[in-house]
Amino acid sequence: MSPDYLIDSLYIMVFLIGGAIAAFAPFVLSYLLRPKHIFYKKTCQAYECGMDPFGTAWDFRYGISYYLYALMFLVFDVDILFLFPIVEVFHTVSAIRGILELFIFIFILSLAIVYAWVKGAFDWKKRLPKIQG
Amino acid sequence: MEKKTAKDTGLDAFTQELRQRVYGVGEEHDKGPLLKLDMADKILRFCQANSLWPMTFGLACCAIEMMATGMARIDMARYGAEVFRPSARQCDLMIVSGTVNKKMAPALMTLYEQMPYPKWVIAMGNCAISGGPFAVEENYNVILGVDTLIPVDVYVPGCPPRPEALMQGLFKLQEKISGVRHPFPQTPHPPRENSE
Repeated sequence: MSPDYLIDSLYIMVFLIGGAIAAFAPFVLSYLLRPKHIFYKKTCQAYECGMDPFGTAWDFRYGISYYLYALMFLVFDVDILFLFPIVEVFHTVSAIRGILELFIFIFILSLAIVYAWVKGAFDWKKRLPKIQG
Repeated sequence: MEKKTAKDTGLDAFTQELRQRVYGVGEEHDKGPLLKLDMADKILRFCQANSLWPMTFGLACCAIEMMATGMARIDMARYGAEVFRPSARQCDLMIVSGTVNKKMAPALMTLYEQMPYPKWVIAMGNCAISGGPFAVEENYNVILGVDTLIPVDVYVPGCPPRPEALMQGLFKLQEKISGVRHPFPQTPHPPRENSE
């Protein structure tokens, strides 16, 4: 290694160390100067409205019907995903043809929503278990 | 900064048990920052005094006056104390505005514990100071003075106190924190042209 190369590396080293000091000095300074924090028994409690929480976060149960909404989200998501290649080739055809094909494509993809609609995916009440009786 | 604390004699078992959560645990053992610099301390106190963040914590009718203090006519924002925070983690001033009853006391304690240190307490109104009209023999439910539970910095008497009184309490607290009344220099209004 040539000495020039070493000196260049030294500059980078100094820059990096200086940057690290500049980044961490405020933390150290505020640690030294800050008022001492005092912890009581409930200082670190997760819920902060004065009431004691009960149960755990895993105790909540959701309706299974939500999975249909997740699937519907996937439909839109895939829609967006397929629109990216269109951006790539949009300039190679005439404007009117590009727009028309884009809309035809989106129309075909939207049929998935119509399909779910007809199947009753948006109809929440249908899948609720009959409690009375 | 000394805090006033009520003596623990003559308290019922409920209050005794609650106050154990704060008294004797923390602030008496506060040794201050690791590096004690007078100038830095002064600057910090100046900043703290001019940017008090009260908690959105209205207990009774005094809370109405507290809201009026935050509103346009008597504007707490002029003195840096307008940011009413709904989360205890972001506050450093608890204005106990109203009657503390035994149902509410544990929640009050929890909120006080959850506020980051350093923190200050204003007892607003007669109920929060001493029980007020509820300090009678037949009382079974009201904590007689919030200072039996948590250390209090400033007492604002009244039933309820006017917003101006709360402002005065705020100035007193700022004075207590930074040592100067009106910590931020306020320029007096220029004289009106049509006045003599």
